[in-house]
Amino acid sequence: MSGDPTATPAPSASSPRTAATPATVLRAEGIEKSFHRGIPPWRREIEVLKGADLEVRRGELVGLVGENGSGKSTLMKIAVGLLERDAGAVEHSAKLGYCPQTPLLWEKLTVDEHFELFARAYRLDAAGADAATRRLFDELQFARYRGYRIEELSGGTRQKLNLALALMHEPDLLLLDEPYSGFDWETYLRFWEMSERRRDEGMGILIVSHFLSERERLDRVYELRDGRCREV
Amino acid sequence: MSAVALTGADFLREHLRARLTLVMLVTIPALFVVASASALSEFATALGGSVGGGSASALGAGWAAAFLSGALGFFQVASSRDADRRLALAGMGPTRVATARILASVLLGLLITIVAFLTLWLSTEIGRPAHAFAAILVFSLIYIGIGTLVGSLISEPLEGSLTVAFVFLIDVFSGPGMSDGGGLAQIMPTRKAADVLIAAGAGQGSPRGDWIAVGLTAAGALALAAIAFWLSARPRSG
Repeated sequence: MSGDPTATPAPSASSPRTAATPATVLRAEGIEKSFHRGIPPWRREIEVLKGADLEVRRGELVGLVGENGSGKSTLMKIAVGLLERDAGAVEHSAKLGYCPQTPLLWEKLTVDEHFELFARAYRLDAAGADAATRRLFDELQFARYRGYRIEELSGGTRQKLNLALALMHEPDLLLLDEPYSGFDWETYLRFWEMSERRRDEGMGILIVSHFLSERERLDRVYELRDGRCREV
Repeated sequence: MSAVALTGADFLREHLRARLTLVMLVTIPALFVVASASALSEFATALGGSVGGGSASALGAGWAAAFLSGALGFFQVASSRDADRRLALAGMGPTRVATARILASVLLGLLITIVAFLTLWLSTEIGRPAHAFAAILVFSLIYIGIGTLVGSLISEPLEGSLTVAFVFLIDVFSGPGMSDGGGLAQIMPTRKAADVLIAAGAGQGSPRGDWIAVGLTAAGALALAAIAFWLSARPRSG
């Protein structure tokens, strides 16, 4: 995954290439994943994913729902490349944004320093980084915290930064793992406005959620049950 | 400045903003060099060693640098593993993240060495100060390697820091000057650096072979740290 923008999905390392249309920004096929707990001979296997498939196209807002422990975050991490899969293939757009469920940040660095770090990772020039930072401060309304260290922020403000870092380079594919936990109602509504606007501009978005009640906001919904995805 | 240098500076800043790190940076060398030198000497006698005087103080400075570097090396990996991986996935890549971490670690090691050396220099007369400084730096680099290796294998703070402390204690009490030099002392990575430091404390030089061994050990430790950082930041593609 590089910052190189392209609409063509790129297979992640060592995955077999599957047929994908140019409109597809994420395709996961036959994903299997088990976790092992304990030491032999008491070792036990927990099978989480048993051949999960899903697809996200450009300009689509797709939900991934399921019970606690159904494997939503596991599937998301595999799609991003944070977790190894046991079997299956993943293809996704090279320009990817990922917002993890728990903010992955550096406690002693400030909000501004996080934007600078990710601007370097996304290879944004100074003007592009500055414009993106100001736009996201404005959209999520947390500019007053820009000089604060992460350890000084509330859970909701951390989550705003977590989301903003995933959006900074306006990716083709955005993967959001319960991105609004800790948001107040106004920010929650603003989050959906932001997502819908980006969807309308062509971004493919996959959102992990517990709530089927958000169904009307989504173009398609996958339910993850018994290790497999089915469209509902 | 390059992206790697700027990122390394961010990582270094993150550590230096921790108040406890700064307190430890001052108190640990003082404890090892000033307060514990005579105790170290008595321990050495009890264990079959013979270190004392300036050599005991110099060795204390080395151990202070090792202790601090091991702990900071461990936490550089363990506390930031997931965030570093996110940064690598965002486009920084594991090699550049690992290089930035190594840069921050070496600068941190240098800072620790300067504080430990200054503590030693102000409290004791050292015959070969340049040799002592170099040997303390090597202690620091070796323990950066050990700390990062443990951090890449064990993510839990308690288990990880105890493991680093365990290696440290074995190293201290089996090392040159502290024991008869047999057994475990032969395989511990700080052995040659300790020989150089003890000699420097007594105002003596060290043979060229010892310096080559010390240089190779330090380079090996840094390579180990680089691999540990890279493994922690690399993507998991199955």
